[in-house]
This record gives sequence, structure tokens and C-alpha cells, in this order.
Amino acid sequence: MDIKEVITAINHMEADGVIERYAIGGAVGATFYLEPVATMDVDIFVAFHPEPGSLPISPQRIFDYLKAHGGRMRGEYVVLAGWPVQFLPPGTPLAYEALRDAVSQDVEGTRARVFSAEHLAAIALQTGRAKDKARLLQFIESGALDSGRFQDILTRHGLAEAWRKFERQFLSDTP
Amino acid sequence: MSFDLPKVLESKRALRRGLAALPVAEKLRMLDALHERELAIRGRASPPGSSALRGNAAPPHAKAL
Repeated sequence: MDIKEVITAINHMEADGVIERYAIGGAVGATFYLEPVATMDVDIFVAFHPEPGSLPISPQRIFDYLKAHGGRMRGEYVVLAGWPVQFLPPGTPLAYEALRDAVSQDVEGTRARVFSAEHLAAIALQTGRAKDKARLLQFIESGALDSGRFQDILTRHGLAEAWRKFERQFLSDTP
Repeated sequence: MSFDLPKVLESKRALRRGLAALPVAEKLRMLDALHERELAIRGRASPPGSSALRGNAAPPHAKAL
């Protein structure tokens, strides 16, 4: 089980032109900025090369490529190096922007493209499940966020009110 | 060791800061180990034939965190 092998496989897939661009999101993405927290899968956001005559967003090429390179299908996942990996198209303008602005990080000589901390935090706010709120608090408490950049993202994506509510709920001393 | 709650909480925060500050490669290896342990626990707890991938499902656009 080696998540670095997963990243290497995705890099090869990008280099071979199967996908246009990728970025790691989810708990694995957050681990680049925060303490590690157990997760069951790896979320990879991808931009696809549309093929003539095919649906603009089809994961089939990814599945075919990875199966040919040792991946195993398990439902919506491809299992690589022992990790279930889910490939996701960016479903919101915020996720599109996160993919576009993702940052390259070095993992012992292997390049990994990851959502920025500010985008991960904004997506957590937008998603709004309990575990997302907990993770957003982790980002805030850790000091991992550039406040100006984070606020700019919230404003551009209509999340200012959600942020005020979050602040009242979790960051205010008075109820 | 102390039962002073503020001290306990501060030590927890310090531990988390220390973990967050580790090199990324080391943190990813910790994720590998956590994943293996989680699978082992679920394997013991789940009846045969049940999915190993069970959890707090989210719509695809919500999967960034």
C-alpha cells in the first residue's frame, strides 16, 4: 500500500495524454497542509481531453488505461497500489478553479499536483458536512490559510454568507 | 503529565502542529498505515461479503475534502 505509487501512476497518465490535468483533493489533499487523518480513498479531480464522437466527460479512457497498467476496478473506484482511487470531474465553478490553480508539490522527487489550502477550505465550507466543518476548523487553527486569498475565493464564489454563519457558529465567543 | 485541561488541550494542539509540520512524504506514509489499519478493523467488524468501502458518501462535487 503506497500512496506515492498512486501519484506516480496519475503522473504517467497525464504525461501519456489520457487526462489533461489532475489535482488531488479530499483528505489526501488536505494532508499536504494538515496532520494526516485516516481516509478510505483518494480523490483525484481531472480535466479530460474530449474525444470526437464521445461524451465530453467519460472516465472510460482512464479506466482502460489504468487497467492496462495494473489497476483493478471496484465499482466507481480504480484500485491502485492498494488504494481505491476515485476520479471526479470538477462539478462546480469553485472546483474548476481549484483544479486550474492547483499547486505542484514535491514528494521525495515525485511531483504531485494538489488543490491549494484555500481552495480545499472553501470547498469544505461549500460542502458543509460535519466532517467538512471539522476540517475547515483544522485549516483555520493550523494557520495554513492565506486569509486574503481565502476571503477572495469566498467572495467570488458566493460563500461570504456561509462563512459568516460558520464564524458565528464556531469562531465566535458569543452565541 | 497533568489533569490541567488547558495544558492538556495545548499539548494536543502542539502534537497536531508537529504532525502537520512533518515532511509530506512522511505524512503520506502515515496515511498508508492508517488506511491499512482501518481496513483491518473494518475487515474484522464487517460481515462477510459486505463492502470495504463504506462511509459518509458525498456527491462528486463535494468530494474535495
